[in-house]
Amino acid sequence: MREFLLYIKSGTEAVSSVQTYVTPSFSVDQSFWQERESCILHVIGKTSSLALAFSLREQINECIRKRLPERQKLTDGVVAELRHLAVGKVREASVLYGREMTDRERDDNQASWSSAFACMRQPPKDWFAWKVVEFRCEVHACQKDAESAGGYKIFSRHSLLRRTSLTADGASASVLGKLLDGRALLWEEIETLLCKRGVEVGDLAAVLHEGVLAGKVQWLPGVRMGVVSNWRRKRLVLFCERCGSEDRALQLIYCHSCEQGCAYCTICLGMGRSKCCTPYMLIASSASADIGREKGMGQPARLEWTGRYSQDQARAAERARRFVAGSHPGRSEFLIWAVCGAGKTELLFPSVAEALSSGGRVLIATPRKDVVLELAPRIRRVFPEARVIAVHGASAEKWEESDITIATTHQVMRYHRRFLLVVLDEADAFPYHNNPVLYRALARAAHETGKLLYLSATPPLYLQKRLVSNDRSKSASSAALPLASATHVLLPGRYHGKPLPVPEILTIKGLHKRVRTNRAVPQMTNAVKRSLDAERQVFVFVPRIDDVDVVLAYLQKAMPDRSEQMAGVHASDPLREEKVLAFRNSRYTLMVTTTILERGVTIPKSDVLVVGAEAPVFDEASLVQIAGRVGRSFDDTAGSVLFLQAERAAATKLAVRQISRMNQLAKKLAEAGGDNA
Amino acid sequence: MTIQSCVACGGHLNALQREGIVRKRARSLSSSAATYPVVYRLLQKLQVCAGCLEALPFIGEQICRQCGRDMCGEVICRDGLCRDCVDRASVPLSNNRSLLQYDEKGKSLVSLFKYRGDERLASFFSALLTIAIYRYHHTPSRFTCITTVPLHPTRLRERGFNQVELLAKALGHAIGVPVKTLLERTKATEKLSKQGGRVHREESMRDAFAWAQGAVLADLSSACSGGIARAKVKGGANSPVMSGTPLRVLLIDDIYTTGSTLRSCASTLRAHLGTVCEIYSLTIYR
Ligand SMILES: [Zn+2]
Ligand SMILES: [Zn+2]
Ligand SMILES: [Zn+2]
Ligand SMILES: [Zn+2]
Repeated sequence: MREFLLYIKSGTEAVSSVQTYVTPSFSVDQSFWQERESCILHVIGKTSSLALAFSLREQINECIRKRLPERQKLTDGVVAELRHLAVGKVREASVLYGREMTDRERDDNQASWSSAFACMRQPPKDWFAWKVVEFRCEVHACQKDAESAGGYKIFSRHSLLRRTSLTADGASASVLGKLLDGRALLWEEIETLLCKRGVEVGDLAAVLHEGVLAGKVQWLPGVRMGVVSNWRRKRLVLFCERCGSEDRALQLIYCHSCEQGCAYCTICLGMGRSKCCTPYMLIASSASADIGREKGMGQPARLEWTGRYSQDQARAAERARRFVAGSHPGRSEFLIWAVCGAGKTELLFPSVAEALSSGGRVLIATPRKDVVLELAPRIRRVFPEARVIAVHGASAEKWEESDITIATTHQVMRYHRRFLLVVLDEADAFPYHNNPVLYRALARAAHETGKLLYLSATPPLYLQKRLVSNDRSKSASSAALPLASATHVLLPGRYHGKPLPVPEILTIKGLHKRVRTNRAVPQMTNAVKRSLDAERQVFVFVPRIDDVDVVLAYLQKAMPDRSEQMAGVHASDPLREEKVLAFRNSRYTLMVTTTILERGVTIPKSDVLVVGAEAPVFDEASLVQIAGRVGRSFDDTAGSVLFLQAERAAATKLAVRQISRMNQLAKKLAEAGGDNA
Repeated sequence: MTIQSCVACGGHLNALQREGIVRKRARSLSSSAATYPVVYRLLQKLQVCAGCLEALPFIGEQICRQCGRDMCGEVICRDGLCRDCVDRASVPLSNNRSLLQYDEKGKSLVSLFKYRGDERLASFFSALLTIAIYRYHHTPSRFTCITTVPLHPTRLRERGFNQVELLAKALGHAIGVPVKTLLERTKATEKLSKQGGRVHREESMRDAFAWAQGAVLADLSSACSGGIARAKVKGGANSPVMSGTPLRVLLIDDIYTTGSTLRSCASTLRAHLGTVCEIYSLTIYR
């Protein structure tokens, strides 16, 4: 069991330096201080709950600040008091933990879906275990034969042991440094990583803690614990240091690792359990990507791309590059707002090259694994001398050193101050949309001087407000959208220069009932027939999973000769990948789908139909994305988009307005460009 | 996953849609009119949507008398035994019963619970176990105690929790039977995936367990119904002889794969408790 020791360090002369520390390896602290200053270390106690230790540290420090105002020495009497205080605080935490547990159980039992959980808890006398340690030692700086008060000979032998183990660990420590550079990992993840790499570190706790003391490594409990009090009562609060989730997102458990009350985070659980007793280690990147790069490995920034930009694309790409190259303090975010089919990936190339040439690493984060897999080879081709890795849950190259990392959004949580440029692809897509967890992770993955670049066809309002400077006197809808500012660039036209297909809206009373009861909806069947007869493929979007089969059956009945070419798919469909592939290969010509295909899948010569466009799941952004499936290729720039709704809805109107507005902007821009030429 | 969504697919829990399926399942799973209401309520509270509830692969009516395997499409040998059980000489385990077939969905749920450590699934799995006990043992209160396949202390510390223990506690609470720690692991057996073959597995499981130091099967007050004398057993001591109703121990595990783990536990129990004791096992999957 890992144990964490709490001690107070006070100077031998001055009293200004009274501070409390937590350590997994006290001997490291002893030799660390010995090399620096003479001081007295008063051990308070130990526990295996890191969250408890951190919480106590804070409370003791606060108490010291209050108790020792000016030039007052930390006497043994005060230390004894503080030991006593710690015991009291642990008891209080136990009571609050128990109360929180009871509160939650009461609420759980009110919810109809859970069974009695109370019986599963181990109800110990006290939820938290704390062992008081009464030990005091004096550390004399730089003395060859360290003699401490009370004649602790063990101490000097300890430091000797430390020395030898240090040299043994010296080599592995540097390997460790390289491996962990710019990462944020749970202790267990570090152990697994080292094991996989065959790196043997004699005393991992000691090596890591040395980094902590030297200020190179930051450590936190996976789940932080604190006490807040309002006028009525005190309450235990929990916070996941990895993903930032709080309160009920953290599950209270009796833990067999720390053998006491503990909590784990249910939000970032897919990445391993972040717990109260698990140290979470944050190692800021010390240098740039030069780490691990041998001499003569070439120029990672060399861009080998033969494609050509349209005038608009060139303008946008250059704007973004200048943002990356710029060194304005405070200007760390930039939005590329490019309509569906504007060719946004290509726009990134100059920005990526810029960051690489200044010696930094680049991260491209995208919500979905299939995009990661599709993007990686493309990026590899255009940056032939850069090391490009694809990082997702199951990828083997996850831990490799790289210049360009293409990762799913969850994996971003494993980085810490590592990248000079962080690109967020599809900034509006699940799971980023309004998700503080991932914005937090993104911001943390960027180096202190790093830049964040958002890419979106339908940026959410909060991003627009922050980055698209608008004329504030006008309402957002009537104001003309600025094409560019210091924090954004807008690309309203497609790469092929043709306008976006504008959706047609049809309101059909009783639409859903008609479909369910198999009554004729000629507007729907005719549209589908027209497309299929013209040898085009059709996306049919429906709001709910249940609707997939209903609408599919309806269409198959209406067009029995084509029923073999129709299929339906939804998020938890086990054959999802196979079906989408078959649709791409034109084995199927019609696909009924939920919003899962609203982005990503592009099929040349296709049309779109939305059945039930009034449903709340189709918001403005979603409908714009759906309409954006159509007319993207050079040889088929047109196509039809039909929104069928059972009643009038705001979102369909707004979507049409947004698309028309982009077309107008693109037209104006083209005219202006034409004038200039 | 919120508390209101299906644990298997994340979908919406629609009570109306579920009602019909809950009734149908409750009818087929309750062996008598007496257990219908409790099985009905357990199913009703099971956190899965209508579709997933309907798709749960319950083991059918025809099972191997010994190991609880679904005999649909299997060769039935003499005495209603399957071909694995018929070759086996006397087994310390009276029988095993399981509720569901271990399909892909089950595998992914178990790995969420067991390896990823999502303890919130404990209430779902323990409800399944409770349904299983009512399905196969009409009066669950006849068990003297419940016990589990123990985890090696090192593994337990690594993982931080014992998933089977959580289930046993919830089950014990639901049926009013005490949960006791009777066994401990003596060797840290390799992970299941690394163990090659059935024979090897059986071999590596032999002597993997021992009677837990200071374990007490039942104290006087809770085991007195049939005039049972003290059932206190000390580690290494010979088994006490009791009169009257036999002791019944229920061994709990999540999955019955080959049964070697459960059989090994049962032999250890038998060695210490003697033949007066009947040992049954119950698992969610098989
Ligand atoms: Zn978390
Ligand atoms: Zn713990
Ligand atoms: Zn479901
Ligand atoms: Zn059998």
